Amino acid sequence: MAVGIKPLTAYQIIGEEIFLTKYGWQDLLVKMTPLMFTGLAVAFAAQMRLWNIGAEGQFHMGTFAMTWFVLHFDEKLPGGMLIVLMLIMAILGGGLWGSIPGFLKARFGVNEIITSLLLNYVAAAWVDHMLFGAWRDPGSNNFPITREFSEAGQLPTFGNTSIHAGLIIAFIFVAIFAWILWKTRLGFQIRLTGDNPDAARYSGVNIRTLTLLVFAVSGAIAGLAGFSEVSGIHYRLQQNISIGYGYTGIIVAWLARNHPLGVVLSAFFMSIVFVSAEVLQIEYGLPISMVYLYQGIILFTVLGSEIFTEYRLRVRSLFIFPRKNKTRAVSR
Amino acid sequence: MDFFTQILIAAVGMGTPLLFATIGGVISERAGVINLGMEGLMLVGALVAFVVMLKTGSYFYAVSAAAISSGVVSMIHGVVCLMLRASQIASGLALTFFGTGLSGLFGDKLMGETVEPLNRIPVPGLSSIPILGPALFNQDVLVYFSFLCVGLSWWMLFKTRLGLNIRSIGEAPEVCDSLGISVLSYRFFAVVGGGMLVGIGGAYFPLALTPFWVDGITAGRGWIAVALVIFAFWDPLKALGGAYLFGLALALELRLQILGIDMSPYFLKMLPYVLTILVLTLVTIRNNRLGIQVMPAALGNVFFRGEKH
Repeated sequence: MAVGIKPLTAYQIIGEEIFLTKYGWQDLLVKMTPLMFTGLAVAFAAQMRLWNIGAEGQFHMGTFAMTWFVLHFDEKLPGGMLIVLMLIMAILGGGLWGSIPGFLKARFGVNEIITSLLLNYVAAAWVDHMLFGAWRDPGSNNFPITREFSEAGQLPTFGNTSIHAGLIIAFIFVAIFAWILWKTRLGFQIRLTGDNPDAARYSGVNIRTLTLLVFAVSGAIAGLAGFSEVSGIHYRLQQNISIGYGYTGIIVAWLARNHPLGVVLSAFFMSIVFVSAEVLQIEYGLPISMVYLYQGIILFTVLGSEIFTEYRLRVRSLFIFPRKNKTRAVSR
Repeated sequence: MDFFTQILIAAVGMGTPLLFATIGGVISERAGVINLGMEGLMLVGALVAFVVMLKTGSYFYAVSAAAISSGVVSMIHGVVCLMLRASQIASGLALTFFGTGLSGLFGDKLMGETVEPLNRIPVPGLSSIPILGPALFNQDVLVYFSFLCVGLSWWMLFKTRLGLNIRSIGEAPEVCDSLGISVLSYRFFAVVGGGMLVGIGGAYFPLALTPFWVDGITAGRGWIAVALVIFAFWDPLKALGGAYLFGLALALELRLQILGIDMSPYFLKMLPYVLTILVLTLVTIRNNRLGIQVMPAALGNVFFRGEKH
């Protein structure tokens, strides 16, 4: 509206492009894959009431670590082994990057929100440094991209579509983490610490170690998002591989109430938002960053409405304002 | 003008938006409300200032519009986390998303437009003090205004009843409530007032630092300001030192290359962020060791009237 577009027509176009075309459905599932990983990463940390705002940076460091590995070992290892080791490298890259705010929080009590977020800028600059320097493909006409990985470094796709095996891996990880959180002792400790740190400490949970571990694991999952994007779609490292997937992971986790299974649904939902923004970009030339505007509004709306679901019995006292103060004072 | 003086001048310039944002954050957090949306608010302020500057050509209108618009946007934060009692952290993040998206959407068409940057107005006498003189007193109007804001906000917070109320609400809202001080109204006005200052900080980018529009013009400075609030121990006067220290790091980032130091520009880009993390860690360690509790005790808590915590 504000940018001079008829909203109904825009909605119609979005609906047709996404749900009535084969490409639309494909794109939904492709965009959903990294969002499942980053959403899961944020949700896992949030189960312990830790805010991992750094999924974007962990994503980048995951892509960095795996690309380093591919550029050195491509065509030197048997096919199956290469892709598995790439996956492990992405886990290590994201995990180590994620354990920095985890360590600072666990050891010194430094606010993890600020540190994890600031590391995003550092990671992005680091990847740029590699892309504009040592890793730039000589045959790329000076574009900041690496050379394409060999076929052994690419995730298989389903038939003729662009949907890749990353989606399957994402579902496997969702299942694993739902299991960890609700069926293992570790998961119980994480949730207990989130709900009541004092009770957890009293019952013998080592909160410091757990903080470090949870942040490392969270970072590792975010690193996997990078792996799935690079290895499943681009087959090379380039700039702006993440169009804010890490940040969107925060919204995905929040909408899912930090439940791994809910992440699947909310990742699908946020994927619709992303693909819609793409349609609007193509049809009307709107910038993709309007996704953030959408996300801000969605998060505000959800936050604002939570009071009605969580505090139903309190609705009476919802809008008590200072004026009531006086009446109370008088009645006393 | 020698190189050193130039660096100092640039440091104060780069530090000014941080200073505005940090004072804004201090006011809001003293009342007990975390504002993680400072990055978004700065972007809104920057966008509005740039647009108004393009349309009217008046710096006064541009800055006022930036302050008002970011005040209005921080009202959303106020309503959501004060009246609707949502998590301040999540609401602040939503604010950052909102501001980033808004400035990205409407800034897209502004690429390539330029405005005239603010003129430097030397203060007679003071600007000829060696070393510090040109850095502090050969600057533009907004820098002088930031000095005024530091002084006023310090005076307001520590020398007036209003400030006493704000600080008390940040420490013990239940007590204030029982004394008949309206916790929510004070917090709301602290959030909006602080938000306006953050918006002015954002306005400084297009009006003085980069006189053209780039997407994400604030480049994470709002988050550095979030850390600076802690670094400044929630005190506007100490914010002055913190902001200029980081201004220095940012100024060095631009100028080390001129000195011929062979370093990847991307490493220089990381410098302010790494420095922020380091300083934040050191400050936290120091506070732990000395057992200092300067953080407002009720910071981040949702206030429920008539309920004990």
